[in-house]
Amino acid sequence: MIFIRFASVIYRKKPVEQHVSGQNFFIRQAQQGTVLAQDSGPFDPPVSRRAALCRSFNGLGAIGLAAVLSKELLAAEATQSPPAANPLSSRVVHFPARAKRVIHLWMNGAPSQVDTFDPKPALQKFAGQRPETTKNLTTENATGGLMPSPFRFKRYGQSGLEISELFPEVARHADELCVIRSMHTDVPVHESSNWMMFTGSIQPNRPSWGSWLLYGLGTENENLPGFIVLGEQGQPVNGPSNWSSRFLPGIYQGSQVALPVKYQPRDVIPYLQNTQLSPITQRRELDFIQRLNAMHLERRGAENAMSARIQSLEMAFRMESSAADAFDLSQETEETLTTYGLTGAEADLVATSGDGGFRRMTFGRNCLLARRLVERGVRVVQIYCGKSQPWDHHSGNTESHRNHAMVVDRPIAALLGDLKQRGLLDETLVLWGGEFGRTPTSQGNDGRDHNHHGFTVWLAGGGVKGGMTWGATDDFGFMAVENRVHVHDLHATMLHLMGLDHEKLTYRYSGRDFRLTDVHGHVVQEIIA
Amino acid sequence: MSPQSLFCGLTVLCLHLFPGLPGTVVFADEPDAAQLEFFESSVRPLLIAHCYKCHSQDAVASNALRGGLLLDSRSGVLAGGDSGPALVAGKPDESLLIHSVLYTNENLQMPPDGRLQDEQIAILQKWVEMGAPDPRTSVPAGAKPGIDLNAARSQWAFRKPQRTAAPQVQNSEWPQQELDYFVLAAMEQRGLHPVRTATRQELIRRATFDLLGLPPTPEEIEAFENDTQPGAWDRVIDRLLASPHYGERWGRYWLDVARYADDQGNSFLTPTPTAYLYRDWVVQAFNQDMPYDEFLRLQIAGDEIPGPADNYVTRLAGLGFQSLGPQFRKGAAGEARAKADELEDRVDTLSRGILGLTVSCARCHDHKFDPIPTRDYYSLAAAYNGVEWPMQMLASPEAIEKHQQWNASMEQQTAALKAFRESQVLLTGKAALQKIDAYASAAVRMLVLRKHNLPLDEQQFAAHEGLELYFLRRWVAVLEKPGDEPVLKDLRTLATAAVTSASVAVSPELQLQGTALKSVVVEALSALDASQRPANDAANPPVPLAPEREQLLKSLWKTNEAPFFVEDAELSGLLAEPAKTQLADLQNSLENLRKNPALPGPLMPGIRGGGQAMRVFVRGNPEQPGEPAPPGFLRILSPPDTKSDAATFSRLQLAQAVTSPDNPLTARVFVNRIWLYHFGRGIVSTPGNFGKLGSPPTHPELLDTLAVQFMESGWSIKSLHRRILQSATWQLSSLQDPENMTIDPANEFLWRMSPRRLDVEAWRDALLSVAGTLDPAIGGASVDQTTPGVKEVEGFNFFTRLNGFEADNPQGRRRTLYSVISRYTPNATLTLFDFPEPNVTSDQRTATMVPQQQLFVLNSPFMMEVSRQFAKRLQSIPGENSQRLMTAWKLAYGRPPSEEELKVAEEFLLATAESGGTQDPLTPWEQLAHSLLASNEFFFVP
Repeated sequence: MIFIRFASVIYRKKPVEQHVSGQNFFIRQAQQGTVLAQDSGPFDPPVSRRAALCRSFNGLGAIGLAAVLSKELLAAEATQSPPAANPLSSRVVHFPARAKRVIHLWMNGAPSQVDTFDPKPALQKFAGQRPETTKNLTTENATGGLMPSPFRFKRYGQSGLEISELFPEVARHADELCVIRSMHTDVPVHESSNWMMFTGSIQPNRPSWGSWLLYGLGTENENLPGFIVLGEQGQPVNGPSNWSSRFLPGIYQGSQVALPVKYQPRDVIPYLQNTQLSPITQRRELDFIQRLNAMHLERRGAENAMSARIQSLEMAFRMESSAADAFDLSQETEETLTTYGLTGAEADLVATSGDGGFRRMTFGRNCLLARRLVERGVRVVQIYCGKSQPWDHHSGNTESHRNHAMVVDRPIAALLGDLKQRGLLDETLVLWGGEFGRTPTSQGNDGRDHNHHGFTVWLAGGGVKGGMTWGATDDFGFMAVENRVHVHDLHATMLHLMGLDHEKLTYRYSGRDFRLTDVHGHVVQEIIA
Repeated sequence: MSPQSLFCGLTVLCLHLFPGLPGTVVFADEPDAAQLEFFESSVRPLLIAHCYKCHSQDAVASNALRGGLLLDSRSGVLAGGDSGPALVAGKPDESLLIHSVLYTNENLQMPPDGRLQDEQIAILQKWVEMGAPDPRTSVPAGAKPGIDLNAARSQWAFRKPQRTAAPQVQNSEWPQQELDYFVLAAMEQRGLHPVRTATRQELIRRATFDLLGLPPTPEEIEAFENDTQPGAWDRVIDRLLASPHYGERWGRYWLDVARYADDQGNSFLTPTPTAYLYRDWVVQAFNQDMPYDEFLRLQIAGDEIPGPADNYVTRLAGLGFQSLGPQFRKGAAGEARAKADELEDRVDTLSRGILGLTVSCARCHDHKFDPIPTRDYYSLAAAYNGVEWPMQMLASPEAIEKHQQWNASMEQQTAALKAFRESQVLLTGKAALQKIDAYASAAVRMLVLRKHNLPLDEQQFAAHEGLELYFLRRWVAVLEKPGDEPVLKDLRTLATAAVTSASVAVSPELQLQGTALKSVVVEALSALDASQRPANDAANPPVPLAPEREQLLKSLWKTNEAPFFVEDAELSGLLAEPAKTQLADLQNSLENLRKNPALPGPLMPGIRGGGQAMRVFVRGNPEQPGEPAPPGFLRILSPPDTKSDAATFSRLQLAQAVTSPDNPLTARVFVNRIWLYHFGRGIVSTPGNFGKLGSPPTHPELLDTLAVQFMESGWSIKSLHRRILQSATWQLSSLQDPENMTIDPANEFLWRMSPRRLDVEAWRDALLSVAGTLDPAIGGASVDQTTPGVKEVEGFNFFTRLNGFEADNPQGRRRTLYSVISRYTPNATLTLFDFPEPNVTSDQRTATMVPQQQLFVLNSPFMMEVSRQFAKRLQSIPGENSQRLMTAWKLAYGRPPSEEELKVAEEFLLATAESGGTQDPLTPWEQLAHSLLASNEFFFVP
């Protein structure tokens, strides 16, 4: 199977409006009637069909042509034809994009910053105490005195970035990481903070940022969903509402692909396979359908929306083979599998936690799938660790953190290395982190509570500076105090890196304009390379 | 502190206390040279570097001003921003500016991107302490531009709609209804001309989808085609408007506006299994042509308006419009914020949904485009401020009281019966206790006989001994079992000896033991009596029962295992009169009550209260209450002289204001919605926004005239449908016209009917209808119609997890309206086909056309199933293939096939059969059926 992948975003002539604006876009398109060339006969063999499509593309707009037409043709189209009715076609951006795709490695449940990327030696000195400045910082549960991290931090790379012993493999990419140590969010509650991290609102009623990106940018490969969520069986907290498109058109919703250890690539996307017809029979049936459609159009004159559906049917047929291909890991070498930690005894590693656990096999495989997907132009890939919230270590923080980090460390490092080696990292933004952080104070004997006052995420690739930290928490890692970055700011920055102005990316729904960042958000310019 | 700085502080304080008094603004003396030097060298650079980005005239110019605060002038500093004055001169501790740079308040930390250095903070503290000397004199202009309500009243949307006489047209033959003149005049002005009228086949298909969301049957089409009498078209319209399926179609459009759902988006709340009562209420309201103003009043204040007294489902179920709205997480996530967000949802749904205004944009700041000051948001929100959302019984107060009485009687009689039984259980055992010697003796003998398998008529034996066989058997059982009750120890020894020696004689030891038992029992019983004497009996005070006596009575009488314990089922048989009759009477009475219940109404979330005055929340933050907002309706929609001195604003007052004939928007907005669903585009193409950012009407006079007529018709929705469907405009064909296309490609001026894609409900219902498997049942609980064969993610079937929404119909054949609508786990298939988001009010459907939709069409088990059923239906037709194909076309497309289509279809059937079609599970006819259902003609309304 051959994939046609574009090396760069196709810059089209700007649509009439200043910025990517909402519903009017679709309405305008649906009402534009153009004349369909009548020569795309449904009984044509595939090759001549393609030729027919090329001949008639002016009449069709750019519906679904991204996958079959050359860049030049599309560029030509941009100068003479109105913008495409297809909501997924690549679109104009507000300014040159630094990143084209995002991979979000969501450590659901929230890892502890002081045990991973935010070293706090002062915790030793004040162990067991509750200094004045931390007294009014309330979290979900009552916590006791400060609890030093049991993990040693070392400096890595040219930059000397400090990383704890939990992430020795990721640490080898220290010079690629931009560690934001001054994150903060609104509330110490998983559900609300998940929604904040995914949708920019603590209430479950706004579209996911993955949906916003897809809406703003379209996708580079229409044979695959543009926003894919990889997991294993079982849902993380909030389930699909984390990646719902809400009031954005349904096509922008995240497609969840929750796979067991063993799976058939053809079963991965809903309805990808027709169990009742062989491919040859289905092709004949589709030709008949298209013949009916052609006679219908002939009788009543061309309609944009109807032509669009004709193309859409063809694209669906092509997806049947190409989408399955993306998920077929048998194409990967043994060496690659080993790099991702998917061979030998390591492959059997399991992260166990009371609230659900996850496996190296699935997490590592998802990292590898993420590379295959972004390689094919999927815009947004999110990976969660396992069902519920495995990183939520209210007790036994030390052992659980050690065990969980061991499962994710090698695959994450492998993904960074793989992206880099293939020249994809520059254009792929990788985000690592939880929905908030954990307290430096102890809950019970050896647990840490939720902490929304301060936490750490890191970014890599996609136009951010590597080997740096940004912002700081107080002496104990409890509250962000320096160069504070709210989740809204993170979102604004991510959109910026993707070439979108978070204040201009709006969608008008029922007469009201909505933004991912609502009325908030500042781009953190300082971390942009 | 210097006298001068004290003076400064007082000045600012005065300014703050009497902001409206002219002439009280007294500035401090001009700063002296040292102060000036300090300001210029230390303070100004700091403000420029860290504050001006968001708090200066430049920020105003670049639309980046935050918090309404200007720090680039002295007056700006003194006037302060949304949170109040920035500083109190001379008093750093009381100055917001200092608090915010110190980061002491987590909600107000400036600059937001990081705390200043300690030295920098010290500079600002020193400056405030000095009295904030400030040489900057420029006066900030336009930081808070006011909204001129009076000027805004002249905008089209805020003027009352006026009826306009139908305009003159050149082609006077064409119009059939008044509205056609408006449409034609607009066309003629632009050089457009109407295309031909649609055929009868097209008309009835379009009308049936429009009004019912279903395709017409071949019989209905034929009847209309053959109806040559005048008024045939009116008869079709009447028939469709009278169909109970009409409300299912149009009710669903309203549910889009009402963001209807069967659950909440949060995991901590369980679904609302009775939400459907609101959905059904809406459907019925449309079916009954409930006047739209009444429809609204009931939804806003059904519990507060008088009548209709006889139907409390009507009175209360409509409240679901707001009571089923989102509820948000409180607790650690913040009570105040959750409540403020819920309030915003209520205001948002009401204002965009009914008034076509984006009032909730004014929650944090004055509306940027429309005449809605922030204050008005809170004035209006007062109607819902303080409401509770209790479960409410949909029944009249009398019925509820009757039900409560019945409930109380049930409880009381159940308790009485229980108490009587318990006392009788004890009394019966107590009576038998007196004969313990006889029972002990008889039981030992009976045990010996039983152990040696000797025959004994137990009935006769008990009668002979003058004992109850029931107790006797329990005694034998007790002796048979090993046990360690002290009181029975000796008796057990005797019994064992008697069994060993096979002696059935009453031995002296046995007699002695019986007597001994009896005496301890009698003593224990009298001690029991003594312990139960009333406490206030001074002469004979109660004596506590000794523990060993209590233990003795327990092991003989009061525990389940005791020999004299009476089991519930046996009580009646052991009772003597009159207790026996008393027991029976009590039982019968309870049974009668149970059989004749005063039934409750169903329980559904309702509303109680509200109407409490609010304060403006500064920048929308409920933790920062600001100026009071006098409760009341939006000023722009109220008469100019309306007083704002009310203490409350009830939902009833809100309902009256919304439905007042003087309200310029309510009728316009609704008429526009009806128009939208008939033409695919509103006269105002932004149905939820009639403000400045909305689109102006394409036919303003027509919109107004329709609105006035609508109100004059008694807000009758069905008469509006009639008016539209009888028009020449609606009856136009959807054909192309090259000339018109060049002038008006978007068909804004209605020179044809725009071809429309079926929405997901009509499409799915049509599939089931054509397959002949649609279940036409109306109303009832929502059903999980998950497509058969779709894989559930393991361990996370939301509806089984939260019980109550089990798939009661695995085939999913009800109309799509009845599917569970979940905010928590949105149905991915409905979402894929552009079903609206149920968290937020929706004013029109988006229409996307993407390959994932076609994957569903080509491959889903649902499509395979309907295709099989459709094929089965066709193949049951006797005769030639051509006859079957004829029916297939009529069912799927509402018309017979053309010659060419017949030929192509026959060829397809043949080719499929010849090329070993038997190898595929789908037969040639099933493939043909599938193809028709998957084709464009099935997907678009003609």
